[in-house]
Amino acid sequence: MENIKEQLAELLEVESVNENDKLADFECWDSLTALTIIASTDENYGVTLSNKELEEAGTIGGLINLIKTKKGI
Amino acid sequence: MNLKFHNKEIEGILTIIPAREVKFEEEMEHYNFSPAKSLKLKMAMGYNKHCIVEDGVCVSDLLIHGLNHLFDKNLLTRDEIDAMVLVTQSPDYFMPATSSVVQGKLGLKQDMICMDINQGCAGYIIGLIQAFLLLEQDEVNKVLVLNADVLSRKVSKRDRNSNPLIGDGASVTVVKKSKEQNVIYGFFKMDGAGAESIMIPAGGFRTPSAASTAMMEEDKAGNFRSPDNLVMKGDDVFNFVQREVPPMIEHLLEKASCKKEDVDYYMFHQPNRFMLQKLADKLGISYEKMPNNIVANFGNSSGVSIPTNIGFNIGSKLLTEQLNICFAGFGVGLTWASLLMKIGKLKFNEIINF
Repeated sequence: MENIKEQLAELLEVESVNENDKLADFECWDSLTALTIIASTDENYGVTLSNKELEEAGTIGGLINLIKTKKGI
Repeated sequence: MNLKFHNKEIEGILTIIPAREVKFEEEMEHYNFSPAKSLKLKMAMGYNKHCIVEDGVCVSDLLIHGLNHLFDKNLLTRDEIDAMVLVTQSPDYFMPATSSVVQGKLGLKQDMICMDINQGCAGYIIGLIQAFLLLEQDEVNKVLVLNADVLSRKVSKRDRNSNPLIGDGASVTVVKKSKEQNVIYGFFKMDGAGAESIMIPAGGFRTPSAASTAMMEEDKAGNFRSPDNLVMKGDDVFNFVQREVPPMIEHLLEKASCKKEDVDYYMFHQPNRFMLQKLADKLGISYEKMPNNIVANFGNSSGVSIPTNIGFNIGSKLLTEQLNICFAGFGVGLTWASLLMKIGKLKFNEIINF
């Protein structure tokens, strides 16, 4: 999980991300980017996310917490 | 559910593809996204061109064209057809069944069974399963699995979620009793709780088409579609496929005591390249053994993507060799189904244009 911010930055096509950054505010944010996050979370952490959960998570920090909660850590 | 069939074989496969090809770039202007964003989608999903019917072309038109081709080339005779199983989600009419329309137009014998099955992405597998069941009858010796869809007619041109990937097509698969002993293994499951994941909300008896159901609305992602159009919940479908398909294949192979490497090809339904690559990765199967190039070249024609995949990627090989093939279809219903069977030395295996 320690590389998660780097991974998210890459998927979101930016240098780095902060916990407070809103997902919907990223320049590249669209359904495809959401799907690549869903796919990479499944692949790297074995966690299944839906578009609705991504939306509710809202921020980078919210997303990381969601993955941790679903992973049970 | 585990299935097992004995002494059945495929004699030939013909796929009929509309001659009209549309490039991804030609339709980009309809989407509510920047060209850069749309091109990124093209790259990630493996879109390029898709084959779609001209206005007004129906499933029976494609199938009759294909069947006449087989009759003309003496690859099939009218009298040997004992049953036709037509799998489609875009029938000519609500009633009668489109298989009956095909039977009538071709002047086929009365002593036969015609039936339509409403299935999509897994439709080719479900059609083969039905054919195997019919072949248990003493007087049924040859069954045609007709799989066809013209769903491009139901997709909004302004829906970047579905329009670039949809394709139309039809296929005729001749299935018969085998003289040699063999075993075909199958597995399927269904989950109607996910019925709304892929659907056309209006146009049936629940919500008949009306002026109001043709009104376009923008969804959260910026796509425009109406209730008359096909709608797909991409995240639901992706998660469902990644969750259910790999264990299904592992289970099928285990039941058949077959090792992954002993399967020559994994000919799967073609939702898009991205999803197929993720499936291959999860299953530990090379991309060579699980072709994923049908959406790029033809579009996703629902169940017909499997016979298209066979014709395009191993068409000539199957005329001379026999291969151990694992089929899988997954999607609308939700339905997921698979078969493990030997196929080869086919009488015909080609793709023709309509």
